[in-house]
Amino acid sequence: MNVGHGQLACTGCHRAAPGTVRQQVQAGTRFLLGLRETPVDFGFRKVENGDCNACHERPFDRHPVFRFNEPRFAEARKVIAPQQCVSCHREHAGRRVTVQPEYCRHCHGELHVKNDPLDVSHATLVRESLWLSCLGCHDFHGNHLMKSPTRLADAISSLRVGRYFQGDASPYPRQLRMPARQERGDH
Amino acid sequence: MFLLSLVAMATVYLFVTAPPPLPEASAGGGKRLTAGEVLEICAAENAAVRELYAKEVVGAGQKVGLRFDENWEQLKIDAGPLPALFLREVSKSLAQGRVRLGLFLGSDNPVNKSNQFSGPQADALEEMRRDGEPRSFFMDDVKLYTAMFPDVAVAAACVDCHNQHPDSPKRDWKLGDLMGATTWTFPSNSVSVSEALELIAALRNGFRDAYAHYIEKTKTFSSRPEVGKKWPSQCYCLPTTETFMQAAELRISKPTLDRLLSRR
Repeated sequence: MNVGHGQLACTGCHRAAPGTVRQQVQAGTRFLLGLRETPVDFGFRKVENGDCNACHERPFDRHPVFRFNEPRFAEARKVIAPQQCVSCHREHAGRRVTVQPEYCRHCHGELHVKNDPLDVSHATLVRESLWLSCLGCHDFHGNHLMKSPTRLADAISSLRVGRYFQGDASPYPRQLRMPARQERGDH
Repeated sequence: MFLLSLVAMATVYLFVTAPPPLPEASAGGGKRLTAGEVLEICAAENAAVRELYAKEVVGAGQKVGLRFDENWEQLKIDAGPLPALFLREVSKSLAQGRVRLGLFLGSDNPVNKSNQFSGPQADALEEMRRDGEPRSFFMDDVKLYTAMFPDVAVAAACVDCHNQHPDSPKRDWKLGDLMGATTWTFPSNSVSVSEALELIAALRNGFRDAYAHYIEKTKTFSSRPEVGKKWPSQCYCLPTTETFMQAAELRISKPTLDRLLSRR
């Protein structure tokens, strides 16, 4: 299981599909024969964003997955599929985040910050493709109570962020704006 | 012979002695509406409610000392959501609900760069500037039907804020200008009438959630406005969520019913 999911029951995410096996076989056959409009799940429902959000929904999320369904993110969707939680948090990998921490480049290539507070400008970071630096000052979902530093030297190192992705303790401030629910909130 | 028996048995198993079939994901028989038709209803409701909010809450509120700010959610800022952020609250509420209706706001000249259109949305807005008509297309990669509707400057508050904001790339907006567009997405090309009603209900719930979020935030204000039946045009006060929704429903219910009836 991924970090933080060790105590979850399988059925916390893998929920039974509606109907009996026989009904599912019948509905699936009817769909294949063109006698039914929509397909059905066999055995278990497909695990989707809603299953993740049942515990991790946060109203202030800086990058809520639903926003990436907007047409203008088509290019980013081709590369990293950010519209799905599991694109970055593939389960059963024993890690916390399963992509490399330089994915910001897919959407922020034309970043322009007015009155840039950082000693090394964001324009310089983008120009020099220092994408590993982003998460040193900004946590992706904005759930850690933190103030971004104004000196790049004070940022969390990419090495520590990388280890955090792998499952090490968080290098971000401990206080969270909203911890994950211990039980699904959609019952 | 064996194969024939197998087919016969499968036919009996699958069709003759079949238990009740599982319902379709898109339930509801009878008359169906196209995705474009139902999104047009949603867009009209959204435009009317946002106009109510922009004029009667933001515009009138600013005159009596209420503040509206892009950082309104921060605890130390005694402010409410600007109209664009009110829409974002509606959008969040929709994303949290059961229906897969998506709503986004953007422009070719947004104050916030994260709302900058590109690709097909930028093209659609450019076409909209010529005739003011909505545009629709299909996003093949995510299999979503998409419709875009004009977002017009309906209140002085919209124009003034966008003309004065230091990050605004355009400073000569006028009332009636096409400032951007709302983008709506839905995963099916048609819906039954009952599904259409479910979508409209989810959207109205989004309006309610968005306004209720603002009223909740006013509890942290150092000088809390009175929340009751009165509107900012009368005092340093705000209508309750119920009062706001009643006013909204007065504006949107008849046009929506007329639209639904015209598609019988």
